[in-house]
This record gives sequence, structure tokens and C-alpha cells, in this order.
Amino acid sequence: MSDADALVARLQAVRRFLAAVDGQVPDAHLVTAHTVVERAGTRLALSGHHTVVALAGATGSGKSSLFNALARLDLSPVGVRRPTTGVAYACVWGPLDGASRLLDWIGVLPRHRFVRESALDGDDESTLHGLVLLDLPDFDSVQRGHRLEVDRLLGLVDLVVWVVDPQKYADRVIHTNYLREFHRHQDVTVVVLNQADRLPPAELPRVLGDLRRLLDADGLAGVPLLPTVAVDPAGLDGLRAELERTVTERQAAVRRLAGDVDAVVAGLTPLVGPEAAGTGPDDASARELTTALAGAAGVPAVVEAVEAAYRHRAGGTTGWPVVRGWRKLRPDPLRRLHLPGGGADASAESLVAATSVPDPTAAQRSALNLAIRTVADRCAADLPAPWPVAVAAAARSRLADLPDALDHAVATTDLGMTRRPAWWRVVGVLQWLVTVAAAAGLGWLVLGYVLRALGLPALENPRLGEVPWPTVLLLGGLLAGLLVAALTRPVTRWAARRAGQRAERRLTASVGSVGDTYVLDPVWAVLARYAEAREALRDAAR
Amino acid sequence: MTTHGDSATHFGAPAVAARTGPDAGGDNPLAGNAEGLPAALDGLRAAIGAARFPLALPSAEPARRAAAGLTHQLDDYLLPRLARLDAPLLVVVGGSTGAGKSTLVNSLVQARVSAAGVLRPTTRSPVLVCNPADAAWFRQGDLLPGLTRTNEPSEDPGALHLVTAPALPAGLAFLDAPDIDSVVDANRALAGQLLAAADLWLFVTTAARYADAVPWELLHGARARGTVIAMVLDRVPPEAADEIAAHLSEMLAAQDLAAAPLFVLPETRVDGQGLLPDRVTAPLSAWFARLAADAEARSAVVRQTLDGALAALHPAVEGLAEAANEQLAAADGLDERVGAAYRAAERTVDQGLTDGRLLRGEVLARWQEFVGTGELFRTLEARVGRLRDRLVAKVTGRPAPAAELRTAIESQLVTLLRAVAAEAAEHAYTGWKAHPAGAELLEPELAHASDDLPARAERLVRDWQRGVLELVRTEGGGRRFAARTAAYAVNATGLAVMIAVFASTALIPTGLEVATGAGTAVAGQAVLQAIFGDQAVRSLANKARGDLLDRIGRLLTEEAERFLARTGAARPAADTGADLRRAATEVETARHRCGLARTDGPVLPAPDQGGCR
Repeated sequence: MSDADALVARLQAVRRFLAAVDGQVPDAHLVTAHTVVERAGTRLALSGHHTVVALAGATGSGKSSLFNALARLDLSPVGVRRPTTGVAYACVWGPLDGASRLLDWIGVLPRHRFVRESALDGDDESTLHGLVLLDLPDFDSVQRGHRLEVDRLLGLVDLVVWVVDPQKYADRVIHTNYLREFHRHQDVTVVVLNQADRLPPAELPRVLGDLRRLLDADGLAGVPLLPTVAVDPAGLDGLRAELERTVTERQAAVRRLAGDVDAVVAGLTPLVGPEAAGTGPDDASARELTTALAGAAGVPAVVEAVEAAYRHRAGGTTGWPVVRGWRKLRPDPLRRLHLPGGGADASAESLVAATSVPDPTAAQRSALNLAIRTVADRCAADLPAPWPVAVAAAARSRLADLPDALDHAVATTDLGMTRRPAWWRVVGVLQWLVTVAAAAGLGWLVLGYVLRALGLPALENPRLGEVPWPTVLLLGGLLAGLLVAALTRPVTRWAARRAGQRAERRLTASVGSVGDTYVLDPVWAVLARYAEAREALRDAAR
Repeated sequence: MTTHGDSATHFGAPAVAARTGPDAGGDNPLAGNAEGLPAALDGLRAAIGAARFPLALPSAEPARRAAAGLTHQLDDYLLPRLARLDAPLLVVVGGSTGAGKSTLVNSLVQARVSAAGVLRPTTRSPVLVCNPADAAWFRQGDLLPGLTRTNEPSEDPGALHLVTAPALPAGLAFLDAPDIDSVVDANRALAGQLLAAADLWLFVTTAARYADAVPWELLHGARARGTVIAMVLDRVPPEAADEIAAHLSEMLAAQDLAAAPLFVLPETRVDGQGLLPDRVTAPLSAWFARLAADAEARSAVVRQTLDGALAALHPAVEGLAEAANEQLAAADGLDERVGAAYRAAERTVDQGLTDGRLLRGEVLARWQEFVGTGELFRTLEARVGRLRDRLVAKVTGRPAPAAELRTAIESQLVTLLRAVAAEAAEHAYTGWKAHPAGAELLEPELAHASDDLPARAERLVRDWQRGVLELVRTEGGGRRFAARTAAYAVNATGLAVMIAVFASTALIPTGLEVATGAGTAVAGQAVLQAIFGDQAVRSLANKARGDLLDRIGRLLTEEAERFLARTGAARPAADTGADLRRAATEVETARHRCGLARTDGPVLPAPDQGGCR
């Protein structure tokens, strides 16, 4: 894979990273990355046959003289007044056409563009064919506008030739503000000590040595350092050879952008930790969340109501028929909560969206908040700075929808109260039978009494032993009814508890799935984006 | 470029003498009317020393630097100079690296006193050159007391190399300062300190450098301080001298520095001694010779710079006072963010208690159990109840209902407290995070409530429960109430009061409570009121409630204290700004009283015609 392809792949990875962290990380951290991605895309789309080389330096270091000497023409104004050059001048070796779009993008005015046609000179300039040389303004003068222009242009060029002179080579502004910033662009940086002729020849190696020491301190240990003399054609040979090499290789643009991507990756690395994304919430905190959600959804109250309703309904079916009607005067606990399975008019009630389960108390709300916070903390425990905030925000992102979702979950959960157990019917039939027997006995006795009162012949009551059958039926029926009711009661209680437990299981399951959807899914989404960002950045780091 | 005999007196000494005429007679013009000035300066120095700018505001770093600079200037220059107005005139030669400062000083005193060279920066330790007659004053160390005097050249920026040069006239001394703009940061700081101690700045720049931004910033500051300045434009290509000199003059005029004499020195090869040829330095030497010869002119220079430096104190200190007040305001703002977060937490707790709903759920269940089992009545009957509670707990291994009820209240309250404390900590944390000074003070653990909060909250609730029992015991004294209560177990009464606290506004059961079977709770309330009377229950409940809120308030205050302690440590004294302003005003008043400089015009002699100006 060529360098250019590798660069494209890395840029793609940076783009993936930016897409993944969008909205999760403060934008202020991402400005440089966005700029570099956009700039690199444009530069790669523009001419790859041209190499843009900038001459940058302090005012009075002789950038323009060097520019003119390299071009062998008087193109850029040279003067003794400082600062001299306020705008960038460009000289193109070879036809201007191919480079004009590049220069449009860089922002050099057409009247400041010059062409170095190799036809005029024969072959000695052809080695520089494809070179676009820029003469930048200074960056240290009282004209602040120059500095802004230099900062803009330095971001766009492929190779920077830093021009220093014996007076200014140790200036703070060039080292601290510029050279140090280029330590990731060593292979597209050249430093020249211009006006070398102003030093006594014996002193030149000492000064070059001192400058090399300063460059090492700037993190630019490997960059070429050349003395130049603009007024002497031979004084430029070293620089010219360096430029020829760069132009022939045609790699400067790619290397420069690779350096930019290196800087971007280094800047973004703190945003993703060395650790992979956490494995999500542990069992304890997930359980705590479900419990808290159940509390907030009023599950305990519903479970209690289910138990009460079971007893109520079982009593309605299996109770002693004589007092059953009285029981019906009391309301069904489930229907009070407007929960389904409330009774015969359930279909009408299903139109009512909201239940009347009691609102969560302050303590329950607090417990829910604590649980959500714990889940977010656990999930984000190993993540670097901006992510715990993002995870916490995600965990709470749908907090406002939660009450309604919980209510809906409780309302739609089948509490298992719609079907009437078979044994209720059996007991009910039994109760009816004994009641009918008692009623028959009573009727029989009343009939006998009436016959006697009217003086009609008395009925011949069959007897069971000594006791007449009507009496046996009446008393036995009453007694049996009471007995059945008494025997059913503990069974009902036990069954009610079972029903309550079943309802609790189902409610907890549906409340848990609400928790998954409304709390954990957003958290997982953030964790997934973190993992993606981490992977993209690893790819971008090549 | 050489001087041609224009009489020095033509522009120089007589004119100055005329301008400074009124003072000419007195040796010490400060006598009598300026005694207050040194004292005022001492006061100002103390005030500046006491000022701190610990919060990371945009204004803090400049203020810290300005305060350090002012302290240095007071120690290095203002106080010693005020003490001896007749001390030799100190000319500080400052400028960019590579401008040829050392070469110039060497040439002016006709001796190699300061090392010159091609490596930048050359001079790292300052060199002071003076006439042997003045050496005692400089060696004595009143001026620039922070620098150690040495007789040997040194690389140590904390040393001042003292050299005597007989070629230099008495009453004049040169200080070769390090550069102002090289990569060596110590040089820049030292140069700034030395320039602040100058009676006269000899500012050296070059043809390649004269438009650099850094020196102009310094010149701008010098003009604001009223320092007397002379400019040297060095290393000028002879063919460009006129154009560059004209341009620099324009720039000086634009910066309101037109009064500064400008000397233009051409780029030449140095001689074997490393000195500039005489013809190059002649205008400058002649000018200095005239200045040295004229005590009045020297004195005028000294006073103008001194007066300017004193006058500049007031605005500079005003800036410091401003910054100090900003620090206070920022600290208040940060405190307010914390306060708002924890006040909201208290409100949440308050609401949780007043709407009575904390009773629901578990508390309610326990209360029902408690009342429903008839235990209330039984415990109310006699203190024996408590004994039996324990017995039941022992036998069944299950806590008695009364104990369970207390636990239920406890856990509900603790949950509430933990949640509000966590939320408040988070709000305070994000509030600080958004503030530059706050973000600087934050530590990661502040984002959560303190680790021992659950334990402290549990402790709080238990303490409160004990307090309620105590309250019932003491409140009962005296009245009819007492007689009744005495007959009942105090702990059951206390429990009832605790319930009343939560339910105080919910005495009438809502439909909901009936729905969830809270009827018995209402029965419990009814029982309570029947026993104690409505009013007594209400007042007991109010007291218990107030007590609980007090305790929670204290707990939350302790939590907030974790933040507030940080601003407290960083907060400057409240009256720093006022102190600074007062001290500066005193200096200003004293300065006006003694009237150091009475001239508006230039105090320096103009350069001779040959000096290209």
C-alpha cells in the first residue's frame, strides 16, 4: 500500500472517529481534527504533481531575497523597511494552469503568482518542475495581520523552509510558537541559516552548531539545516538540491498531511483510554436498577392489590352464598388501580391508558435516581474524561419518558387474574348444592308447617334415623356451607400469595425490559460508540 | 555619521538647566515635603505582598505577574532611588538578542567589559559598568538588591557583574542587560526587571529588527511608565540608513515616543578589540559625555523617570485591585453555585417530608403491622412492652414490629438523603466544571457524595429517632399530657410522633391510601389524637420535624463544605482590593505633594546634528 493510500485510509479512520464521538465529546476537542480532515481531503483532490514549498521566517531574515534568488527573477519586493512583505507571493515552475486551482485554494492572489517557464532556461530548471514556491509574510513584526496570514498559510503548504539569520536564529517567537509546533512534520521541514555571509567564516560552524542544539530542543533533531547566501548563486546549492529532491519524490504533500494526522491522533488519544469499553453494568447494579424501577412503578402496591383481589374474587365465588352478596358491595382492589383483569368491564377499561397505581414516593424516586447513577458509574468506570458524563447523560436521557413507560408496562402486563381457577367452580357448585339442599329442607319444613296450619293432612316426612329429612337438609346444608367456607379460606390465602408472586414475577420482568429499553440501551449505544471511536483511532494511528 | 562640532551647549545643558531652574538650588529637593513618600511606598509594597490571586481567572496570571513586577520595581528601583536621588544615573542598555548591546557598551566605555559574540543569546548575566568613584554605591546593593555582586564574569542570571571603567565619566553607569526576546526565558524576565530599574533606557534595535513586535510592546509599557528613553538603531546598512531612520522615526512618533533621541549606527566590522570604531560611536559618546557633565540634566532625567514610575503605580495597582475584586466575585460565584445545589437538595428533602408520601410503601406497611397487631395499644399500656418486644424478637428470631417500623423509616430517609446528596454533589460539580476557576479547583471525587455519607445518614436518622423519644419525654413534663404519657411506653409515643411528622399534612386519608389499605394508619392517627389531643400531636410533630430538617441541613452543609473549603482556601482577603487602592492613593498624594518632575517637555538633550535625527 502506498503512502497516499495509507493516508487516505487513516483519514477515513479519523472521519469514522469523528462520526462516532459526535455529540458525545465537547466539540472544542474536535475542531483541529475536523479542520485537518477537511483540508487533507481538499489537498489530495487537488494537484498531486505540484509540491507547495513555503519560505517562512522572521522579518528581515531575507525570505524575499531567497525567493528571488531561487527564482532567478526579481519577483517579490525586497526592501530595508520592516516589515516588507505583507502578502504571500507564489512562483510556479512549469505551466501555471495545473497549479492555479491549488493557488486559488491556498489563497494567493492571481497578481502575486509568477511562472518560471523552464523553456527559457533550458534544462537546468526542469528538475524543479512542479515546484510552487511561496514567499510568506513575516510573523514577528508589529503588523499582527501578517502573523494571521502566516498561520493560515502554514496549515496549507506541503514543505516549510524556515529561514533564520545570524541575528534572529535564537528568537523565542520562531522556536516556541512555530518550530516546536512542527515537531511532527520533521520530514517536511527544512531550516536554513540565511545571510551566512554576514558571519566571519570561522564562526559559521559554531552558530550552526548552536542552532542545531536549539532545533534538537524543539524536537526537530532530524531536519536538514543548511547555510544559505542569497546574494551568491553558489550559496543556494544546498537548498536547491533539497528542493529538487523533494519535488522529484512528490511525497511532500502526503508526508505533511500524515504529520497533520499524527498530530490529530496524538491530540485525540486522551479522549479514548487504553482500556476497551466496559462490559456494561454488573449483575448487582442491574438488579438494583430493576428493584428501584419496580418500586417507582408501584409494583409492591400492585402485587398487594393482586393478592387482595384474588381473595376478594375467590371469596365471591367460593364463599358461602348466603353472605356472598354482601361481599360484592366492597370494591375489587385491582379495579381501583384501573388495572386490566379488573373484572367484567375490562374491555371498557382498557381504553383508559393510565393506571391509578400510586405515584412513587420521594424515597422511591431517590432510589431510582441512585440506581441509574450507579449503573452509569459502573459502566463508565474505566472510561476517560468526557465519556462518564456522556454515559451518565445517556442513562438519564429518557428519564422523562420513564414514568409513562413504567405505567404502560404495568398496565399491559398480564397479571394472571383473568382466568377463574377450576377449583373455585367446583367449590362454588358444592356451595350451591349444599345451599340448595338447605333451601329445599327449609321449603319442605315451611310446606309442612303451612299444610298443618291450613289443617290439611300432614306430610309424611321420611326420616334419617330419628331426624326428619327436611331438618337434615336444612341444618346439614347450612353446616356444610359454613364448613366448606372455613376450609377454603386457608387455601385461598395460600393461592392468593401464589398469585401475588406470579404477578410480581411478571411485573418485574416487564419493568426490567422497560429498564433495558429506557436506561441500558442508551448506555449501550454510548459504549458502542466509544468502542467504535477507539477502534477508529487505532486505525488512524496506523 | 560622525559628529561635527555643533556646540553641545546649544541643545544640551543650558536648556535643561533652564527648565529645571526652580530646583537647581537644593541638593535634596525632597527634604521637608516628601517624607511621606517612602512610607507610602512601604505601605503599598506590603499591600501588594499581601494580595493573592489563586483562582484561575483570565485576569489572575497577568495580575500575579504584575504584582511580582511591581514588588521587584519597588525593591530594585523606587525605594533605593528615592532614598538617594543624587546617586549616579543608571543607563540600562536593553533590546533584542543579536542587536549588539554588549558590543555597544564595550565601545562606549572603551574596554571589553561584556562578552560579545555570534551565539545567541550572548549575554545571560547582567554587567554593570561605572566609574571607579561610583563603584561603592552600586556595590553597596541598595539598588537591585536581589542580584549578587560579583567581580568575575558569570553565567548565573542571579549575579550582577560589576566592572569599573575609568573611561566612563562619574555620575553615569551602564548596565548591559540580557535580551528580551530569545528562547531563554530567564533572560526575558531578568531584562524586564533590569529595565524597570533604569533611570534611562538605552534601547538598542537593528535594521532587521526595528519592526519586531516584542520590543515595541516593551517600549509601549515604558512610555506608559514615563521612563526616559533613548533609541539606538544599530547595524544599519549604510546605503539604507536614511530610509530606515525615517521609518523608525515615524513609528516612534506614532507611538508617542517622538521625544526619544534616536542614534543611527552603521553596520561595521569590529576592530581587533571587538569594539566599534570611534567614528561610529562618537555621536553617542559625545551625547553621554554631555549628560554626564551636566548634573542638572542628570537629575532631571532621574526625577522624570522616578515620577513616571510612581505615577504609573496607581493605574497598575488599580488593575491589581480590580483583579483582586474579580477573585472575590468569582469565589462568591462558585460558592453560590454550590449553595444553590445544596439548597435545592434541602428543598427536595423538605418536600419529601411535607407531602407525607414518604409514609407510603414500606413505612405504611410497617405502621399497619404495628397498629394492626394491636401492639400499639399493648406497648402504650406499659413499659413492659419493651421487654416483651425483646422477648418476641429473641423467641421468633424476627424483630418485633416496632423495631421493624423504625428500620423502615430509617431506610426510606437514608435513601432519600443519599439520593439528594448525590444529586447536589453532581450539580455543584458540573456548576464548577463550567467555570474556569472552578474547574481548576475540582477533584474527581467531588463529583460524588462523600464515601461515608450513607453511614452518616444512618447515624443521623438514628440520632433523630433518639431525639424524638427524648422530646416526647421532656415535652410531656407538667401538663395533663404528662400524666397520660407516663403511663405509656415512651418509645411507642415517639414512633407515633415520627409517623405524624411524615403524615402531618396528610391526616385525612386520600383515596389512594384507602385503596392501598391505609385505613388502619388513619386509625392509628385517630388513636394518637385521642390519647394526646390534636394540638399536642401537632406541636410534637412540628418540633420533631424541625429537628430532622436541622440535622439534614447540617449534614448537607458538611457535604457542601467539601466544595466551600476549596474556595475558602483560595479566597483572597475581602478587603485586598480596598487596601491596594488606599495604598496607591496614598502614594499618589505623596507624589503630588513632593512634585518630583515639573517639566512637560523633553528632559534629554537632543543628539548632535551628526546623529541622524
